[in-house]
Amino acid sequence: MFKWKKLGKVFTPQEVEGRIWLKEFAQAPATLVFDDFVRVYFSCRPPADNNGQYVSYSAFVDLDRKNLFNMFRVSDQPILKLGGLGEFDEFGTYPVSVIRNRDEVRAYYGGWTRCESVPFNVAIGMATSLDGGETFNKLGSGPILSYSPDEPFVLSGPKIRRFDDIWYLWYIAGRKWKMVDGRAEPVYKIRMASSLDGINWNKLNKDLIDSRIEEDEAQASPDVFYANGKYHMFFCYRYSHHYRSNEKGYRIGYASSTNLIDWLRDDTKAGIDVSGEGWDSEMISYPHVFELDENIYIAYLGNQVGRYGFGLAVLDGKLM
Amino acid sequence: MKWKKLGKIFDPTQYILPNNCVQFAKSPQVLVFDDFVRIYFSTCELEISNGKYLSHIAFVDMSKNLHDIIRVSDKPVIPLGELGCFDEHGIFPMNVVRYGNVIYGYTTGWNRRVSVSVDTAIGLVESYDEGLSFQRLANGPILAASLNEPNLVCDAFVKVFDGVFHMWYIFGTGWKRLSTDAVPDRTYKIGHAVSTDGINWEKEESLQIIANRLGKDESQALPTVIQIDGSYHMFFCYRQSFDFRTNKDRGYRIGHAWSDDLVTWTRDDDNPVFDVSLGDWDSDMQCYPHVFECNGNIYLLYNGNEFGRYGFGLAVLER
Repeated sequence: MFKWKKLGKVFTPQEVEGRIWLKEFAQAPATLVFDDFVRVYFSCRPPADNNGQYVSYSAFVDLDRKNLFNMFRVSDQPILKLGGLGEFDEFGTYPVSVIRNRDEVRAYYGGWTRCESVPFNVAIGMATSLDGGETFNKLGSGPILSYSPDEPFVLSGPKIRRFDDIWYLWYIAGRKWKMVDGRAEPVYKIRMASSLDGINWNKLNKDLIDSRIEEDEAQASPDVFYANGKYHMFFCYRYSHHYRSNEKGYRIGYASSTNLIDWLRDDTKAGIDVSGEGWDSEMISYPHVFELDENIYIAYLGNQVGRYGFGLAVLDGKLM
Repeated sequence: MKWKKLGKIFDPTQYILPNNCVQFAKSPQVLVFDDFVRIYFSTCELEISNGKYLSHIAFVDMSKNLHDIIRVSDKPVIPLGELGCFDEHGIFPMNVVRYGNVIYGYTTGWNRRVSVSVDTAIGLVESYDEGLSFQRLANGPILAASLNEPNLVCDAFVKVFDGVFHMWYIFGTGWKRLSTDAVPDRTYKIGHAVSTDGINWEKEESLQIIANRLGKDESQALPTVIQIDGSYHMFFCYRQSFDFRTNKDRGYRIGHAWSDDLVTWTRDDDNPVFDVSLGDWDSDMQCYPHVFECNGNIYLLYNGNEFGRYGFGLAVLER
């Protein structure tokens, strides 16, 4: 089992002032390391509208590289605009995953639209930044990864990586909408696509991670990190019903692979679970692993899927 | 070349249709058998709870004189899609292609949205019972929105030429409100994709292949292609993007283009011209053309006023 030492919550959106679009939530942290600071992208929400509906934006916070609990600044604006009328990302750009590519920074993000019979649908878009990841321009008005025969809806949670000059996108794809107490709840599984240019993708069309707690287990945030000769994936999973609770809510799972396609799930190795009390006592989710100055960190969300921010833990030992 | 109109040949309100459908026989498309012609169309079920329509596929079998009706489908041809799927709220239209021992159906699935009325994508269904019923290969679409085709990918027409599957379809270029209190309307253009198996398609991403006649706000829909004397001819319908539903000067008309190589298309709506008849069932609107060959004739099926609420008619090409 990996040994993670929890460092506590590092960012609380409620403490940020003067940004109407950032009232609560700091979801799906994703890092970009600079010389003096670590830029952590996250997704947040303004207050709900009169119908209780949210939109979501993505933004970033710069943390002092020497002390990640020392916050330098929060972005003045969201990094992406919402899409136009009837476009796939009209109601949200969440979550976002970033990567450097020569002089640019690329962002892959989930774009949210609202539907009549189910609450939403999601497809994956892409945008590029030429100013070091402060602002991004969308590549087009449509998604780069969309619905296909075996991935009929809810393509979300992109995580972009590059290994040996091949681009990889890990993401989730909806499997079914399940009616629970009169509400449509999505079930989704972890999937992968590969690409030579990061724009045109070939889907693997395979569930990468076996379902463990139930057939309709929902899996999210497939965060892949290479270390010590193999690929490590931290992800989160939950029950398909009543998951807004401690018992059935998100936990962090783990799988490993040597070829990026065949994954061996072993959640007992994950080594990070809910705390007895505090901000992450009910659920932990949306893991993101990154390396900084010889340490391996994991950023993750706590209760209510990041409504009150994200925290950090540091690895004691190696990812083996 | 000249179209000779033969009049309306099918009125859905005169028949009992599956799924409680009472009106509309939109986008007639054929499967030609040895001794009859099966014409698929989309008909509408009114959802009482919200006053919206659900489109379902049905068919009518006609003798090859295209006048006598043999029967109308008495069972659903394809169930609608599952909760949250692209074809949950309707299938309209469907193009059928016989290939080997399977009949492919290229469907347009409709799903309702909140800020705009719908989005669509193209699905594939298969029939192994001579087209009486079709089954899905999967719950998702084979052709959907992409980087530069942001929405409303629909209206597939598929034909195999020289071993290559060609698909002509339409893609949305955006939703707009004519005025602040108006419901959003869409504009779409005709595009092209190719495939070696009819299942996996490569789009010519966002390439409009037919020139506008009415300017950039022209919407082009339902392409249908046939080879005549060595050239390829495409028929489609086009209209203004706003105020087109009841204003007959802005509604659908039949357009035409021709090509010698399936790459470059020359628009030529006036040859053959498709007349507007006065005071008849198709006096205000002509839309959803489908061109096919039968008994050595080239026919065009199409809908008239009110998008085919009261059926479809036929024209024959005179050369």
